[in-house]
Amino acid sequence: MKTLIIELRQVLHSRLAVGAVLLLAGLAALSVWTGLQAVGQQRAALERIAASHAQDHAAIAAKQLKGGAAEAGSVGYYLPHLTVNPPSALAFVAIGQRDLQPQALRVRLLGLHSQMYESEAINPELAMPGRFDFAFVLVFLAPLFVIALMHDLVTSEREAGRLRLLASLPAGAANTWRRRVGLRFGLLWLAALLPVAVGALAAGAGVAGFGAIALVATLYLAFWFGLASWVAARAHTSSSSAAILLACLVGLTMILPTLADAAIARLAPVSKGVELALAQRQAVHSGWDIPKPETFAKFFQTHPEWKDTAPVEGRFHWKWYYAMHQAGDQAVAQDVAQYRASMQSREDWTARVGLLLASVNVQVLLHRLADTDLAAQLAYQDRIAAYHTELRKFFYPYLFEERPFTQADLARLPRYAVGAAGGELASGQLLALAVLALTLLRAGLRQLRRPA
Amino acid sequence: MSASLTQALPAIARGEWRAMLRNQVAVAAGILMLALTLAAILVSQERLGAVNAERARFQSTADEQWHNQPDRHPHRVVHYGHYVFRPLSPLAFFDFGVDPFTGNTLFLEGHRQNSANFSDAGQSSVLLRFGQLTPAFVLQVLTPLLIVFLAFGSVARERERGQLRLQIVQGIPGATLLLGKLAAHAGVALLLGAPAFIALVAIAAMHPAVALEALTMLAGYALYLLLWVAAAVLVSSSLPRARDALLALVACWIVTAILLPRVMPDFAADDVGRPSRIETEVAIHERLAAIGDSHNPNDPYFNAFRARTLEKYGVQRVEDLPVNYGGLLMAEGERMTSELFDEFMRADFARQRQENAIVHSASLFSPVIALRRMSTALAGTNLDSHARFLVEGERYRYAFVQALNGLHANVVSPQGAGDERIDKAHWDETPRFGYPPAPYAEVAQRHAWPAFAVLGGWLLALCFAGQLIAKRLERKAK
Repeated sequence: MKTLIIELRQVLHSRLAVGAVLLLAGLAALSVWTGLQAVGQQRAALERIAASHAQDHAAIAAKQLKGGAAEAGSVGYYLPHLTVNPPSALAFVAIGQRDLQPQALRVRLLGLHSQMYESEAINPELAMPGRFDFAFVLVFLAPLFVIALMHDLVTSEREAGRLRLLASLPAGAANTWRRRVGLRFGLLWLAALLPVAVGALAAGAGVAGFGAIALVATLYLAFWFGLASWVAARAHTSSSSAAILLACLVGLTMILPTLADAAIARLAPVSKGVELALAQRQAVHSGWDIPKPETFAKFFQTHPEWKDTAPVEGRFHWKWYYAMHQAGDQAVAQDVAQYRASMQSREDWTARVGLLLASVNVQVLLHRLADTDLAAQLAYQDRIAAYHTELRKFFYPYLFEERPFTQADLARLPRYAVGAAGGELASGQLLALAVLALTLLRAGLRQLRRPA
Repeated sequence: MSASLTQALPAIARGEWRAMLRNQVAVAAGILMLALTLAAILVSQERLGAVNAERARFQSTADEQWHNQPDRHPHRVVHYGHYVFRPLSPLAFFDFGVDPFTGNTLFLEGHRQNSANFSDAGQSSVLLRFGQLTPAFVLQVLTPLLIVFLAFGSVARERERGQLRLQIVQGIPGATLLLGKLAAHAGVALLLGAPAFIALVAIAAMHPAVALEALTMLAGYALYLLLWVAAAVLVSSSLPRARDALLALVACWIVTAILLPRVMPDFAADDVGRPSRIETEVAIHERLAAIGDSHNPNDPYFNAFRARTLEKYGVQRVEDLPVNYGGLLMAEGERMTSELFDEFMRADFARQRQENAIVHSASLFSPVIALRRMSTALAGTNLDSHARFLVEGERYRYAFVQALNGLHANVVSPQGAGDERIDKAHWDETPRFGYPPAPYAEVAQRHAWPAFAVLGGWLLALCFAGQLIAKRLERKAK
């Protein structure tokens, strides 16, 4: 304990070390603050959206039901229904896709796939550089501080002429180095994670949420401390050690991930979305030009319960109109599956890259944990689709039994239920990170026993 | 003085080059960076080709679908709508800019203004957020770091070894010494940028339409690299130890190239605050409802419209009109909604530009923000170009919807039941979507010249600082 305090005093004597620890704490705090701010903005936007939707909904309903009752088909055509995807408690740690994707979407009773892919009116120039959130500070900036504190661990002793003395101490040099590395690890750990703990408390993320982030951060820092120990033990001068470590940082966090991204873009193109949209429009609109029984035949395949209702005669009937939209959605089911599969395969490839690249892995882990990745967006789309199905089921009896839609029915409309946030710690990814980090840490500490 | 300049300066530069060549790590890093630039050029050139080919294919599919429509009622065609795709400028390979973050597919239909959908980033994993492998990314972010590594010891190392004092005492002026070091590192920096510069010149030669843009970009990037060279040499000559110089320069790099570009957008978004898509939609609905309801037989606005129309044709009843009143009503409704769409769209672009102006204001402290502004503007991949696509798309939408409403009014029989079809030959009358790129003068004036002013101002300030530092070098040696 006493030696540890002496070491601590020694670390705190160095202005560079103190400055580095404080700066990291400041940056982490700034990132937590901007993250909370961004999430707060999103929550505020959702409230505004809910209010303005409620107003719009009431106005449209009032107009439709002016005479006390209305045709259900007309109500379904005009009345929008709100779905929302509020941020999880941990979203402030890694904003991810949330600043690009719509977090609220209104659906009407029409074909789902002509409504689902509406994008939010973002300012693309603000989105372009990426967010300054904790995930960014941890992945890109924290290693810089590890490098600043570790690059001259051994060389500074040599340059001061104390290295031989240290090696000849009876306690063995190994413990000294371990203690020094541990101390620096602890200081940076606190600097990075204290702000997150405060943020998690403020956001109501709970101990488990913070614990999961702390686990990922600890492993990532261990990875860098391992690497830095290894390089510090082998380098001959402080500047060459710093240069090698910085090169590792740029390679691992910038060059290799961008190369991987370019490769994945080639491997798994996502033009499927546009193809899906084009096909959907074609399917729905050709419905106007083919005989109505054909459309109904397609519709009854999936909805046989309405098979025996009266056939449509004449030019237009709402039940035929919605059967046509539903048939249009059915016609592109295959395209939808392909579209989702192409996005899923991008995710899968990224996760595979993450097994090897700690920087990518940490991003994947944190975004999954915060439920702000592509998977979260796909899950939201699933919830929208389920809700849309619920709405259709609600409206079909009115359409097929030609029941008028009344004020009382309005109150019985299904409401979109916000699901629990789906963030989780991906165990396989975590294991890969742990193996990589602990192996490197062990190798680094071993190397420190006999510095070059 | 001039004799010593012509003799000493090349000697100093040659000496610095020799020192760099002896440093194997530096040579390896330089070669790696050249390879990376080359890879970035090839990868993103190929990607641009693929993107444009795909969008052209989608566009021709959509055009074909449009022309292959059967006989239809024109109002059905209004709802059938049309798809347009945004092509990329030949320079976009250099800097994809906002393109991955904006949708490039616009569905145009009557009564509605749709968003541009299916952005790359919206369909991608977190990897895209690490940056994209484009020449712009390499030159803006990575090359400066390499310049820092190569130059941080240029003067400080000599000071540590005592060689600096020796040179000054031998009568080499401080300014000559600095200029020699600057020349050496400027040469290396331009060599590092050479593959990208050659690519720009090649594009300028192959596509004369964007030649000016390409050459302006080249000048901007060259200026930016020189800025880093000057900063690195000057910091190296004003700090006592090489290690301190490295730390200071890396800190500058983190703040200017990594931190500020990411933090500023947060402040900008906070400051301006834009309504979401749904809020805008509702606001437009409200305004429309306040004007009038074409389905309401007692609506004052549309009653007045009917009276005007009847008067214009000199008849008493709608049934006596020689044209289809439904078509006229549709055209009037479209005119009103489009006016509102236009108003809201322009207001929102104004807010987005306001946000961008807040980010750009930080370019005084972060030259990379200035450079990025110029680069994306010239490559046709900034907000302005996206906004142009949306505005032109909207203009096109309005024109073809009104043309269809014209068919509805003039070709569809006035007394029909509403399900008449008109000949499909009419669909061929719609022109193809296309819009000319923004003129160079406008882009340069809006974005390139301000950026040059910032970069040039920085370089001037560094020159001035260089003079002071050179004098100090001489003073300290004596």
